Amino acid sequence: MFAIEYFEVECPEPVGAAYYNQITNDVLLDHNLLKVIHKLHVFIDPRIPLFIAVGVLNKITSKVRIGDFTNINPQEGKMTLVIANETYLAPMLKILWEKYGKDHVEQPDRFTVVLYDVRADPKEIEEMIVADPSESLGKDLIYAFRLIAPEGFRVRREIHENGKFTFVASEDTIQEDIDAMVRARFALMGETP
Amino acid sequence: MTLVPVTYKGGVHQHDAIIDLIEDLGGYIVQKHMIAQEIVLQCFVPKDDIELIARISKPLFGEVTESPLVGTEIAVVSMSLEIHHLPHPSCDFAEYARRIGAKTNMVSPARGPGKRISTINDEERDVINEHDIAVYAFGNFESCIEHKWPVMRRGIEVPIVVMGGPSEEILRRIIDPPADGYVGGVGRFMRRTKEGEEIAKLDEIVAEVTRVLEKRREEIAKDPLSVSPARLMEVIREQVPAIHQVTSPTPLTVQMAGLRVKLPYDTFAEPLRNIVLEDGILLHDLAEVLPSRMRDYIIVRILPFSESNTVI
Repeated sequence: MFAIEYFEVECPEPVGAAYYNQITNDVLLDHNLLKVIHKLHVFIDPRIPLFIAVGVLNKITSKVRIGDFTNINPQEGKMTLVIANETYLAPMLKILWEKYGKDHVEQPDRFTVVLYDVRADPKEIEEMIVADPSESLGKDLIYAFRLIAPEGFRVRREIHENGKFTFVASEDTIQEDIDAMVRARFALMGETP
Repeated sequence: MTLVPVTYKGGVHQHDAIIDLIEDLGGYIVQKHMIAQEIVLQCFVPKDDIELIARISKPLFGEVTESPLVGTEIAVVSMSLEIHHLPHPSCDFAEYARRIGAKTNMVSPARGPGKRISTINDEERDVINEHDIAVYAFGNFESCIEHKWPVMRRGIEVPIVVMGGPSEEILRRIIDPPADGYVGGVGRFMRRTKEGEEIAKLDEIVAEVTRVLEKRREEIAKDPLSVSPARLMEVIREQVPAIHQVTSPTPLTVQMAGLRVKLPYDTFAEPLRNIVLEDGILLHDLAEVLPSRMRDYIIVRILPFSESNTVI
């Protein structure tokens, strides 16, 4: 598990800053995003009003494979997959159905999937990729920051590219000098947007 | 005879005896919860008889505690019903207050959140005014609270307790015109209140709400109500059988100076007005029967002695 290397909440009201520090931490923890973020700087000024979150992401290449959440027991003429974590059960079934056909894939209960007459190496099945969490990462990240930002801030601008993200939200039209402000926050972390 | 609000907690076994006892003593049961093997009664009992009830319920492992929030309806005004503000902290407090006897409703303005953009409309204002007290759950920034407070309180006639992120001193300084109660250090947060310190904060809110309500009770005592809301509830229960068909948890919600009757206004307002309370005295002599802004319910406002010249 990675730790966030840089995490700062900047706000002219110290009490508000402490609260938003806690909120940011709680939301990212709840959405399992703490391990994804490398550096994060949050700037809030309720007087303007403006909310800026800029950050750098960790490089994650961890694709989820069948072996990550199942145990495979090869038996005579069949193969039993014992599932430890249901999160990726649906995409896994879909892939298995497509590859072997519904006749050969049976799911007697929530935690078991049985493959009949499948001539495949258990190793090969273990290596099959079920999901790639980094695909939906951008969406998850923006969703999390929508929760963190004050709710009234409904005018938003979101950018997520090259492992960096910018989230700007305000109640009013976002000013044109926003890029300079975003650059300044990146500079505080020693990065460029 | 002064009636005081108490909560009785005990086993299901022989709880009928306790209900009979409370009724025989002249008390009223406001709400009865049966949770598995346990029973919780929220009731008004004569002050001098608490001792007696405690003594009789002792062999049944019953417990009698004073709970000043019984018989009050509280509006918890959350700035929105989005995940930003719910379930913590608004629901945490609403649920906590319910546990100690209050009837809490969550009220949320359609355009509550934000600083410049936050407003409240007439329906929301009227719904809040139907309660005994409003608890406003504000956010974390003093500049926002300062800005939106005059808008959010516009037209609200019931006492307001403000909770917000900044400390109590800051809230007192920025909130103008003043509110009736303040609790600092409870702004927007996104975790459940379950640790000792957080529960202490909820207790602090309850204490503040109780203090404000006590003040209101004292005011009512100066010009007493023509009939006690709990008694009126009992009479309606006896004379309007349709109330027993209502599936809501509290078909009759007791307030400090009135009653919410969860029956349609058009059909039931007239029969309700003509209920005979005592010989010759009808309900409409002592109370106003008005349409509620909450669904099509009825709200009964009991007149004070100075207006009706009768006390029963």
